[in-house]
Amino acid sequence: MRFWQIGIRNLKEIYRNPVLLGFLLGMPVAFMLVFIAAAGGGQASPIALRIVDEDQSQNSTAFIQILGSVDAIEVKEPIYSEGSQAQADLRDGKISLYLLIPSGFEAAAQAQQTINLELVYKEADPMIGLQVKPIVEAVGSEFLGVAPPLNVELKGTESRIKNPAVNFYFPGIAVYGLMILISTAAEIIAGDREKGFLSRMFTTPARPWDFILGYSLPFIPVLIVSTLTYLGVGMALGLTIVGNLGYAFLIFFLIGLCAIGIGMIVGSLVKSASQAGVSWLFIVPMAMISGAWFTVDRMPSVLKSIAGVLPFIHGIDASRAVLSGSALSAIVLDLYWLAGWAVVLFAAGIALFRRTMVS
Amino acid sequence: MNAVQTIKLTKEFDGLVAVNGVDLEIKKGELFALLGPNGAGKTTTIRMLCCLLKPTRGTASILGYDVVRTPFAVKKLIGVSPQDTILSERLNCWENLALIGGVYGLSSDEVKERSQALLKTMGLVERSKDQVRKFSGGMKRRLSIAMALVSDPQVLFLDEPTLGLDPQARRAIWEYIAQLKGKKTILLTTHYMEEADSLSDRIAIIDEGKVVALGTSQELKTSVFGMRNMVVSTGNLTAEVIADLHNKYSRVAISKEKLKISHKDLDFKEIVDYLHSRGVTVHSAALEQPTLEDVFIQITGKQLRE
Repeated sequence: MRFWQIGIRNLKEIYRNPVLLGFLLGMPVAFMLVFIAAAGGGQASPIALRIVDEDQSQNSTAFIQILGSVDAIEVKEPIYSEGSQAQADLRDGKISLYLLIPSGFEAAAQAQQTINLELVYKEADPMIGLQVKPIVEAVGSEFLGVAPPLNVELKGTESRIKNPAVNFYFPGIAVYGLMILISTAAEIIAGDREKGFLSRMFTTPARPWDFILGYSLPFIPVLIVSTLTYLGVGMALGLTIVGNLGYAFLIFFLIGLCAIGIGMIVGSLVKSASQAGVSWLFIVPMAMISGAWFTVDRMPSVLKSIAGVLPFIHGIDASRAVLSGSALSAIVLDLYWLAGWAVVLFAAGIALFRRTMVS
Repeated sequence: MNAVQTIKLTKEFDGLVAVNGVDLEIKKGELFALLGPNGAGKTTTIRMLCCLLKPTRGTASILGYDVVRTPFAVKKLIGVSPQDTILSERLNCWENLALIGGVYGLSSDEVKERSQALLKTMGLVERSKDQVRKFSGGMKRRLSIAMALVSDPQVLFLDEPTLGLDPQARRAIWEYIAQLKGKKTILLTTHYMEEADSLSDRIAIIDEGKVVALGTSQELKTSVFGMRNMVVSTGNLTAEVIADLHNKYSRVAISKEKLKISHKDLDFKEIVDYLHSRGVTVHSAALEQPTLEDVFIQITGKQLRE
């Protein structure tokens, strides 16, 4: 049980250190507050959406009605019947965004064919389009997947997510928060090596595995407490959990294990606690390209492929999907990917940390 | 069986010889000091004995257990207080002691009992529940020594136990170490002569990785080299006389009308007669026992203090 003594010591060194805790818990919570407030928070004013209905069918009218029932957007009258009018108004600055329902919408819907909806926004304000796009997509896919009449049922499904901004931002910021464990683990390990604490402990009868367990297990309660804190704050801010919370927790747990593994790698490679700061050079860009803070739908494909190989984007996408109601089958590949990374990173972390013990 | 035994113990770092063929035999219960300037190889020697560094050549054993082949047997027998005071900063005294005690496999009752006694001996009871990062250097050092003792080790390594402490804190630690004398085998490294002089049973003077002298403090100062010091208080020394003295004797130092002459088999009368013959007034003259520093300078030609 020597590892237990070492582990308890490390846990105390973490939870008694306000700076480490501030980064681990305070920063992600602050990010949630700021991002969600910036997105309008609970009192978000709906985005004005103009609609061009070129189809002029029963189906298109029903679709417009459903769009109108979504809290986050406000469908403005009058409905254009031709795209050119809307385009002119957009150019003149009278409107900033419109959705074009092409002719053939009803026919395509009935034939179950692909329908291309166009969301046209002012060049100067691309964010507005990005904000509305997922809403239109969600409503559209629900609408097209169900035969008419559909109003009652659809309203129910859509209204379950009370605040789309929170459900969008929460998973990204939670994953970013767990990525901070990289720096925590790296700093503890590198610091103890730099100050000679590990050397001192190596003169005791503790064995290599006591150190490996003693320097990895304590991060697991930290990871659990962090996840619960983020979830608590997220729910207080209006996070709607439609899907299975257990799967979401599992995803966050695997992300946390990946982060601890990377932290052990960095902590074993750098020479001092201050050098462990290099982990931020990894954390911030990875969080960015993994879509922790904003949507990465339009990111160049090179960055997309890099992000796709790494675990974090899978954690964000899968937790976002599962919190919003996706079934396990939709995220199972992400889970495998995350579990694989967790095993690889932990093993590499242990191998490198073990190497530091042999002189 | 010796408590500590090294045979031709050598450590090289990238071709640089830090410890060069050191032979030591430390008996059980002995307090043995390694005295030498910074960089002499004292800490490297200790690190090899604590299984932190593998010797390049030679062997070392603690109570018969080889440090390379049976490191975990060795680690169970030793307690180490490293040169830099290394504690778990956000733990209090009890928790630091419990960490080390627990790693040595003591039960929590044993840890508690020993910690209580050690904290009392080291004068840390009052602050025992404070996080140690708030402690002074002296308090930290005392706790560090207590941590080396909590497992009740048979062999204790104290690497520069008073380095960087003020004289008062240093004296307090000397008192604690003196209390342990005879109860434990202690290997202490220091570059303070007074420390080695007042505490140790035997001293090895180490320089550039080699043991250059070995013996009790008294042996080192007198019988081995026969060095004697004479201090003369004078009024009118001339440059000529000083030059003359420099030629005749191993070491001549002058400060504030005081002349200090060191030489093997120094003859008191001969010097006084010589000074009189050159018309130098002698207010007083006395023989002094040489210090370990004199011994060190005599052997290595270097000052011990930086």
